[in-house]
Amino acid sequence: MNRTGWTLIGLVTLALAIALPFMVMPFYVRVGQLILLSSALALSWTLLGGFAGYWSFGHSAFIGLGAFAGGLFETGVLPGTGLWGFAAAILVGAGLSAAAASAVAWPILRLRGIYFAVAMLGVSQVLAELNNNIDAFKGSMGLVLPRLSAFGLRPEAFFYDILLLATVTVFLIALWVKTSRLGHGLLAMREDEDTARMLGVPTERYKVAMFVLSAALTGALGVIYAHSLGYITTSSVYRTDFSLNMIVYNLLGGIGTIAGPFIGSAVMVVLTQVFLGRLLNIHMFVTGALLVLLVLAAPRGLPGLFRRR
Amino acid sequence: MLAIQTIADGLVLGGLYALSAVGFSLIFGVMGVVNLSHGAIVMIGAYLTWFLWHAGGVDPLLAIPLVMAVLFAAGYAAQRGLIQLAVERSSLLASMLLTFGMALMIRNTLVLVFSPDLRSITPAYAAHPLILGAVVLDPLRVAALAASLVLLGLLAFVLQKTRTGRTIRATAQQELAARLCGVNARHVYGLTFGVAAAFAGASGAILGIVLPFSPPDESLWTLNAFVVVTLGGIGSPSGALLGGLLLGLISTGTSQVIGPSFPNAMMFLILVLMLLLRPSGLLGNAFAGSR
Repeated sequence: MNRTGWTLIGLVTLALAIALPFMVMPFYVRVGQLILLSSALALSWTLLGGFAGYWSFGHSAFIGLGAFAGGLFETGVLPGTGLWGFAAAILVGAGLSAAAASAVAWPILRLRGIYFAVAMLGVSQVLAELNNNIDAFKGSMGLVLPRLSAFGLRPEAFFYDILLLATVTVFLIALWVKTSRLGHGLLAMREDEDTARMLGVPTERYKVAMFVLSAALTGALGVIYAHSLGYITTSSVYRTDFSLNMIVYNLLGGIGTIAGPFIGSAVMVVLTQVFLGRLLNIHMFVTGALLVLLVLAAPRGLPGLFRRR
Repeated sequence: MLAIQTIADGLVLGGLYALSAVGFSLIFGVMGVVNLSHGAIVMIGAYLTWFLWHAGGVDPLLAIPLVMAVLFAAGYAAQRGLIQLAVERSSLLASMLLTFGMALMIRNTLVLVFSPDLRSITPAYAAHPLILGAVVLDPLRVAALAASLVLLGLLAFVLQKTRTGRTIRATAQQELAARLCGVNARHVYGLTFGVAAAFAGASGAILGIVLPFSPPDESLWTLNAFVVVTLGGIGSPSGALLGGLLLGLISTGTSQVIGPSFPNAMMFLILVLMLLLRPSGLLGNAFAGSR
């Protein structure tokens, strides 16, 4: 498909997405929220995982870090400031995630493949355990966040719009990265890091930059997600299934592409929330079976099924 | 005296960690596959043992061979039917997703069949503690440690001295060369997975007599296996033994010195540090997956 085609598809999707809260019941607005959140998270993950080939199995570390840093800052420093406090919380969440990522980036990005994946899993577990066990972080007792809305919108419509804005922002950043010199460098790295380095791609700098950018965006999304929940504990934001879902959505939609995370999360969220919503006691079994099927039947994602080699 | 008791408890726990990790280590070492369903297989072992004890009155330690046989067959089938396909069609990293899917399915099935309640296996001889000077030992825990060590020794013997063990090690070192010598690599991978599942099941049986358990614990046992393997070194029973005992000591030591809620944080911190400082583990056995 050419550029005009993609732009048209993008604009039509965007128009439908803006119109959605006015057309459907609140439950489906929630489903829409979840699709947007999942797409934005999967896209932030793909900046490092899909573009550079560094699969993080612990990205929920940044969701949790962002959610708690932003939330504690907002309730502790700026209580009762409404939307301004929320905006400040997003900046703090993103900033602290970026800072944490830059602190671990140099040692941890020396690891490759499964070792990097496992190290990130370890990092997310350490942060979750500390958050849960140190009382000042309120991880085990929970943190209540202010209720927010604006322009007389219902809360679910408000968060839908905020998430839509966030998703578009992440999309534009990802598009910029992919089409810039940086993106080409990353692609070269993903295919063969040593060769890319030999050919003059500053691999070290590029992967650190992507890791920090990916962490910052994930942290900001964590703050938004936390507010849409209203009350957070360690186990509601440091969730290993978030980390794995980010990978699943990418795999399903086609890894390393920008449309992939959107396709993957839309399909997966609709399947698990809408069709399986009533089968709570076998929900996990069906999700697991879908994963197995996905890896075996569509190793190159759903689009790969329709495309010839 | 407190220190000695802590060390004794740490060693008992460590034996269990070592046994529960050795299968994970073998699969990673031989195939390079990170088996995220490992903890779920441990839980299957625990529930099978519980069922045999609860419904049939079979002693948990005597149930171990039966559990191992069942899980060997299941493991061989899972490797030949699912995991090998995933590795060939997609990638090693995608096999992590496949095994995670398997873990979810197993966990859900266990909840449906055995309910999400905590279970424990308590044979009649559990109530008489052994007192050695200042150290109090539960005979059941001593038996658990002994069983763990015997099974680890058995696996080491099989890998070092038997024909099958040599074939497995050869395939791990270089698949192509092994195949040129007439080894059926897929069959060897199936055997490896079967052996790993059998030992995971045995550790589940022992876990059941040492600690109470429920299906969601599976993720904890997978993560424990990870930490043990990164600590000790990949692909060998001795690495798993060293890593397991160290982890047991670290775990009881941390809860004694820092506080009872910090062993997990400490475990994962050590995992990350080990990966950064010495990714091949303390013993540094270089099987295929660790290169």
